Amino acid sequence: MNAVLPLELRRVTHWFGSHRVLRDVDLHVESGEIVALMGANGAGKTTLINVVLGLISPQRGERCLAGAPAGELSRVHRAAIGWVAHSPQLYPRLDARENLELFVRLRAAAGARSAPIDEVLVRMGLTHEHDQPVATFSRGMLQRLALARALCSVPELLVLDEPFTALDREGRQQLSRILNDERTRGAGILLATHDAEVASMLADRVLRLHGGSIVAQVSRSELTGTHDEGFRARVMELWTN
Amino acid sequence: MSLVGRDKTSSMGPLPRQAWLLVLHDLRQELREREIVSTTVFFTLVVLVMFGLSFASLGTALHPLIAPGLLWLCVMFVGSMTLTRIFDREREADTLRALLVAPVERLAIYLAKATVTLLVLLACMALLVPGLVVLFPGASALATNPSTTIALVVLGCLGYVAVGTLFAAGLATGSGKHVLLAVVLYPVTSPVLLFALVATRALLEHHPRVMTYLGQMAAVDVLLLVLGAWLFEPVLVGVGRARVP
Amino acid sequence: MTRAPVAPLLFGAALVLLPWSVVRVFLDTPIERQMGTAQKIFYFHLPMAWICMAFAVVCGIAAVVELRRRSVVAGAVAVASAEMVLIAGLGMLISGPIWGHATWGRAWTWDARQVSAALLWLIFASYVLVRRYGAAGSERLAAALAIFGAAEVPVIYYAVKVWKTTHPTTDVVGSLPPSFWAALWPALCALSALSLGLVLVRVRLELLAQQLERQADS
Repeated sequence: MNAVLPLELRRVTHWFGSHRVLRDVDLHVESGEIVALMGANGAGKTTLINVVLGLISPQRGERCLAGAPAGELSRVHRAAIGWVAHSPQLYPRLDARENLELFVRLRAAAGARSAPIDEVLVRMGLTHEHDQPVATFSRGMLQRLALARALCSVPELLVLDEPFTALDREGRQQLSRILNDERTRGAGILLATHDAEVASMLADRVLRLHGGSIVAQVSRSELTGTHDEGFRARVMELWTN
Repeated sequence: MSLVGRDKTSSMGPLPRQAWLLVLHDLRQELREREIVSTTVFFTLVVLVMFGLSFASLGTALHPLIAPGLLWLCVMFVGSMTLTRIFDREREADTLRALLVAPVERLAIYLAKATVTLLVLLACMALLVPGLVVLFPGASALATNPSTTIALVVLGCLGYVAVGTLFAAGLATGSGKHVLLAVVLYPVTSPVLLFALVATRALLEHHPRVMTYLGQMAAVDVLLLVLGAWLFEPVLVGVGRARVP
Repeated sequence: MTRAPVAPLLFGAALVLLPWSVVRVFLDTPIERQMGTAQKIFYFHLPMAWICMAFAVVCGIAAVVELRRRSVVAGAVAVASAEMVLIAGLGMLISGPIWGHATWGRAWTWDARQVSAALLWLIFASYVLVRRYGAAGSERLAAALAIFGAAEVPVIYYAVKVWKTTHPTTDVVGSLPPSFWAALWPALCALSALSLGLVLVRVRLELLAQQLERQADS
């Protein structure tokens, strides 16, 4: 029984003061797909993500989770969402395990089950650093720990905001592997990025956000005789126009 | 696909447990680095010395008149600084928003932050009240009635924290500006200040109605806590409507 | 939007009532024995105080509606009311001490009403500052401020009353003998009409400004 998927945003419009940040945005994310949201800085990706996560209630438009309109995100909704934000959102004075434990215990108090911490640490390659204070972590390690926390919730919907920017090649490969695994597991993944390469490799659908509107979309399933090159070319074209 | 089970927690839902977890969590961070407690206690000492210097020339008979003001002004200064620091830490790491997206009761966040701020304030009071008695011997009634003094200090700090936590949190989630917190906090906590001043002066003058005033402070505290708790979620996250045409 | 021209009607009424109230207060009402001519300030001071308090309550209620129902109109009403609280409050806080000083030599008596008025003014001034200089999303915080402000005024008033009863003084708190009330009504109506008209205009201005800004951005 899904709690949040499919995610549907319809005609979402939002202003910050007099500046219209999102205009008539439609978005949907299904189980088992990766949707990439591409756009330059200031295009509205983060605001759109905040709308998805319930941090912002849009001034116009509709948000539907699992087919039902959702004015606010209840605890049940939030238990099914994993978020890797632009900043790691970790407590520097605690170590890796303690950061995850807090999160898992808070979830347990709300009746939400979580993946075992040790398994997640192994999966993210953080077993050796699990008791080091997070303040000593490199940017890449912080990113991995943030992702580890999101994975602890075994999320139905995984939302990532520019997760590839801090990673080296190995990190990117690992993250791509994990995202593929999550997709296979049936999660819906919303990925904001300005890296067209990554988007073309991973995503099932790519949306281009510009000036707060979705100006173009490419879907892998649209291309018959799917050669990856064809999709990649279309994504590059989408990005450069 | 969801792993969400039914609430196996108490009949009050996850609120008590989550609030408790968050309090322990903040205390654990503080024990590791002790930054907030040491800076606020030091600031209390500084304020105490400044007050002592400024009013040292006044005669003992005047001490019961100025001590209430000094006590509660110091609470407001230290309280403002504590709230700023506690929420700055959350804002720097952006962890408050992570809590807002997790399945955490928003009220638990409010209660936890209020509790931690109160504990820090009370730690400062443990220095301030004896310090005031030493510097201003005319205010010795604070020392000779310890239980009343403790009740007074706890109730006053509680009211302050009930209001301050809401506004400090609200300013921490936006790209809030520090100066606004100072602008906002002092006027809006003034009722607490007034009741505390009345009760403190009554205590120092051995007024028979001290306990009544403490009772009134408790009532005001309840009102402020209820308001603060009610407004916390709407201020931080806003109330959403499913469909806005 | 086509609506009945309420604001112009109110201004028209004020235009008529204000001169009439001046006539009533200064020409038709006898000079009070104890306090002299300066007592006449009171006829304008009291309406300003009532207007200030009334719009503080309106602002508090509008803020609740704004928060709970995300109403843009309620937000505009809250802003306009808060500004009127500041204006009327300023008038009240200036005229009160002038009157106090002129009649018995004490500008500020720490009367419960004076103190609660001053603190109320400060709270709503901080409201206006937050709305103007706060970051995006701080409207909700400002609304909370207005709600606290409106709720706290009776608390403050009571606190100062308690404070004064523990330390009674012999200050005479101004009040109006019944025979003088007749002169109050014109001034009250005039100032109420004026302030209500101004608030309505301000609400309209705020809504139009928001609309314009949004259209300009499209």
